Amino acid sequence: MARNKYNIDEVLETPFDIRHFKRSFKYIKRHAKKMIVALILSVFAAVSGLLGPIITQHALDKTIPEGDMWGLLFLVLLLVITIVISVVFSNIRARIMTVVGQDIIFEIRNDLFKHLQELPFEYYDNRPHGKILIRVVNYVNSVSDMLSNGIVNIVLELMNMFFIMVFMFFVNVTLSFVVLAGVPIFAAVMMFIKRRQRRAWQQVSNKSSNLNAYLQESITGTRIAQVFTREEENAEIFDGLSNAYRGAWMKAVKYSNMVAPAVDNVSMLVRAAIYAVGLLIISPSGVTLGTIAAMTSYAASFWQPIINLSNIFNNFINNIAYLERIFETLDEPVTIHDKEGAYELPEIKGDISFENVTFSYEEGKTVLENVSFDVKSGESIALVGPTGAGKSTIVSLLSRFYNLKDGRITIDGHSISDVTLHSLRSQMGIMLQDSFIFSGTIFDNVRYGRLDAEEDEIKAACKTVCADEFIEHMPNGYMTEVNERGSMLSGGQKQLISFARTLLSDPKILILDEATSSIDAKTERLLQEGLFRLMKGRTSFIIAHRLSTIKNCDRIMFVDNKGIVECGTHNDLIKLKGEYYKLYTSQHEEISV
Amino acid sequence: MFQLKWIWENLKGYRARYIFALTLSVVCNILILATPVLSALIVDNYITGKDALYNIENKKDVLLLLILGLIAFTAVKSGLQYICNMSYERSSQGAIFSLRTKLFRIVENQDLTFYDEYRTGDLMTRLTGDLDMIRHMLAFVFRGLIESITLLMASVVYFFIVDWKMAICILSLTPLIFLISLRLKRVVAPVHMKLREKLAAMNTAAQENISGNRVVKAFAREQYEINKFDSINKEYSAANKAASLKWLTYSPYLEGIAVSLSAVMLLSGGIFLITKSITMGEYIAISGLIWAVSNPMRSLGMYVNDTQRFMASAMKIMEIFYKKPTIKDPENAYAPDEIKGDIEFKNVSFGYSGNKVLKNISFKIKAGETVAIMGETGSGKTTLINLIPRFYDVLDGEVLVDGVNVTEYSLKSLRKNISMATQDVLLYSDTIDGNIAYGNSSMPEEEVYKCAELAGVSEFVDKMPEGYDTIIGERGVGLSGGQKQRISLARAIAVKPKILILDDTTSAVDLEMEKHIQDSLKNLDFLCTKIIIAQRISSTKDADKIIILDDGKIAEMGTHSELLKNKGYYYDVFMLQNEGFERSEV
Repeated sequence: MARNKYNIDEVLETPFDIRHFKRSFKYIKRHAKKMIVALILSVFAAVSGLLGPIITQHALDKTIPEGDMWGLLFLVLLLVITIVISVVFSNIRARIMTVVGQDIIFEIRNDLFKHLQELPFEYYDNRPHGKILIRVVNYVNSVSDMLSNGIVNIVLELMNMFFIMVFMFFVNVTLSFVVLAGVPIFAAVMMFIKRRQRRAWQQVSNKSSNLNAYLQESITGTRIAQVFTREEENAEIFDGLSNAYRGAWMKAVKYSNMVAPAVDNVSMLVRAAIYAVGLLIISPSGVTLGTIAAMTSYAASFWQPIINLSNIFNNFINNIAYLERIFETLDEPVTIHDKEGAYELPEIKGDISFENVTFSYEEGKTVLENVSFDVKSGESIALVGPTGAGKSTIVSLLSRFYNLKDGRITIDGHSISDVTLHSLRSQMGIMLQDSFIFSGTIFDNVRYGRLDAEEDEIKAACKTVCADEFIEHMPNGYMTEVNERGSMLSGGQKQLISFARTLLSDPKILILDEATSSIDAKTERLLQEGLFRLMKGRTSFIIAHRLSTIKNCDRIMFVDNKGIVECGTHNDLIKLKGEYYKLYTSQHEEISV
Repeated sequence: MFQLKWIWENLKGYRARYIFALTLSVVCNILILATPVLSALIVDNYITGKDALYNIENKKDVLLLLILGLIAFTAVKSGLQYICNMSYERSSQGAIFSLRTKLFRIVENQDLTFYDEYRTGDLMTRLTGDLDMIRHMLAFVFRGLIESITLLMASVVYFFIVDWKMAICILSLTPLIFLISLRLKRVVAPVHMKLREKLAAMNTAAQENISGNRVVKAFAREQYEINKFDSINKEYSAANKAASLKWLTYSPYLEGIAVSLSAVMLLSGGIFLITKSITMGEYIAISGLIWAVSNPMRSLGMYVNDTQRFMASAMKIMEIFYKKPTIKDPENAYAPDEIKGDIEFKNVSFGYSGNKVLKNISFKIKAGETVAIMGETGSGKTTLINLIPRFYDVLDGEVLVDGVNVTEYSLKSLRKNISMATQDVLLYSDTIDGNIAYGNSSMPEEEVYKCAELAGVSEFVDKMPEGYDTIIGERGVGLSGGQKQRISLARAIAVKPKILILDDTTSAVDLEMEKHIQDSLKNLDFLCTKIIIAQRISSTKDADKIIILDDGKIAEMGTHSELLKNKGYYYDVFMLQNEGFERSEV
């Protein structure tokens, strides 16, 4: 899939089908008992509510004309009791359903989040993060009411409709058909609205997603905007996106708001038809006036559930646009997962072998072809070569961040695709090019490497990477709060913190991918002592441009042309007078002025 | 009620439409009251009245007219209702649009201290979820309140006209409703505040997890992240339940009282009927409209609850809305079109949170010169260059550009002439072309290619199937560190700045490429002052001046050969980086 950006609508790849309801049912099912209780309570509340008019009727017809004061008091008391019952039951129902609704979205959100943790890098690389975020937070919030109260109300209104229909047919069959004749008309109108409405709400979800994507990027990139004085232009882009959202919204409500007048008019037509048919066509002899009165009142009650149902339906259509996005994300394939029968990788000794590894990020663009090499336990390997040659790819494959196209990678003889991802990755220490800092204290950021680490272990790790000094210098030392965009830390300091984090995890295989590029030469020098101590006894891969770092490795691999073109110790490669030699001498020339 | 004034302010441009919508609401509600009157005409004359039979036989045409009238009336009424609804939507969307775009500008113009304080996810919540609460207030709550009040007033007047004693009896419960609503208002306010906080916290947690997905995977911390999110999700869920349940403890009383009106009606009406102080007709007239009193009373609590929710969100938005950046244009700002590029630091000191980062820095750079800055991690290099485009204001001393203090410039004209490739490379999820032309989106394609060539971008982009139209991921994910740095460099060069600042821009670039970039920088076809922060001697040795920072002070300053003679930090670094070559026999 091509990458997405903020102003490209995401195409919905799966059309809506009944499966979405089935899947929602999975979440609803867990709360079925509570929902049934709520339903029963609602029925009681409704019945109790229906008693009110009967009591009043009785009072007006008999008790009051008879002047029976005590009888009146008794009936009022009865009325109050039915009111209390109805209110209390409704309230309990509402409480139950609040909890159910919240629990359902809690579960959906947790599932979504869990699934996101399993999705590969590509998923995150291929779309703006704001578009992922809006699904986890905003979209999930939108569907809460639909999946809880919505469902119960549908059942309730359908029941309601059924009973009224039965009553209606008892009173008069012909007029009942007149009432029912309104239904197909209404259905036709709804179908007309629905098709457009659904597409319109999908657009709303698209536009809000775009807006969120741009918002997130703009907030993260404010500084760049300010550097390039792009504030006004960015604001105009944002205006455009906001306007597109407003447009989509207006278009959607244009249809949504049609539902109420449609119901209104159709129900009035039905009522008019009852008068017309009852009074003018069947003629007074055929129908008693009382029947007509009863029918008009039933027609009104019959349409009430239809009005309610169409409102619920309306709501469903809006929210399904969100629901299908949520399910789409849940359906996103987890391309890298534990295969069946995957076992825990035993403690790594560190023998690594690449056997005819072929890999490409995109179809037809091979990055590595038929790469084979062996690394002995405890060896340190430097990977050098031009940018984009595939150095980072080699180490990413080792951690199984991507699946191979062909070939095999083994660690201590275990193929990495046969072992569990967790047992593999948790034994590796990977320091990436981007040193991401979580918001929280510096202490917590380092501890991320090993959650059960003691304070002195954390401090020791920071000392080893020479971060201790600047951390102690900060206003609250290790407890200083930092954040993702924090201006508190320099690039080098961030790298040191993430270095300490890696070190703390006590990895069996150490991978440093441009880990020290922003660190100054002197600190790096100090760091190297710690680093070499750390590398002792561990298999390690180092990607760096500084030859001083590279030279001390046991072996150097020069990566180019989809594979390893030279491999050997520093001295071997110098003697070879190949690519490495060229690279080395160019730096030499540069410096010895 | 400051929030209400604020929202009125922001309704500017849509006020007329909004008031039109409110008025139309009132009209529609009156029409709703009129519907039963029309159907009553039919029922009374043709069904229940004593002349019904005669009327049906002899006044069929009138009946037909009445029926048609009823249909027409409904059509008009629902048409008006539709117009009314759409007016609410249009005006509330308009207000939200203008608020959202204003907020964006406010957020965008804040300085770095603001960004240290607010997390991305939090800001995003304010500009999305919280704004939606404002929309809800405009499109539903106000409208509901107006409609309820109209209905209530109209029916109360009607009741008093019919029978004042009955009216008073029915209204006897109203004070209770108001008392409960007032109490509700007090207790739900903090609950809603907390809910909004939890929502922001959840958004922040999810946002950071998504941005940090690589680190999460590298450390196999998925389970930890899931647990962390699970607890935040739980807290949000609990806050949501708490808010709803708080409302549900009050709503049964409000609901109960509203519904009890029918009991009050029966009791008082019954007594009055028995004592013959009202007629059956009067009783029926009032009871037919009792819903017009009980419905508004029932909804009152709901609106109070929603208003509190609105207040909580409005507070969060207003906090941002009234934020003033500390770094802003001075009055009568100096705004030259172009600057020359002389830079001078005069006894500059700077620090944050009590930490002095720069101490008494003084130096001069002439237009067109190249200056390299080196020093240990955390010695203040990045801070120093951030003072030139005035991302921070100095604590002491002056930063001068062309002899004018940077605080006197309009920010725009100052920054327009400076461009920067920052250490933390931030690219946008846009095409490579779009990223390079970020500083000047109307830049011709050839210009983009030229800058790409200079910065060594073309070398790898030419290999991509979609070339410059390749969309890169947010923050440039999918590209290697060196590739990102090169794009960021091309972006900085592309605007042809008078002052070009490169903060460690080639650290992840291989040596051959670095050489190419240095050649490019030397031969730029426009004159500019260059400030380069670097770690490698190879990047700095040709500079006109090299500044060595140590713990916020200038430790050494001079040319390559001067500093080598000096045998200080620079010399040490030189030796460190050269060491390997001496040992190996090349």
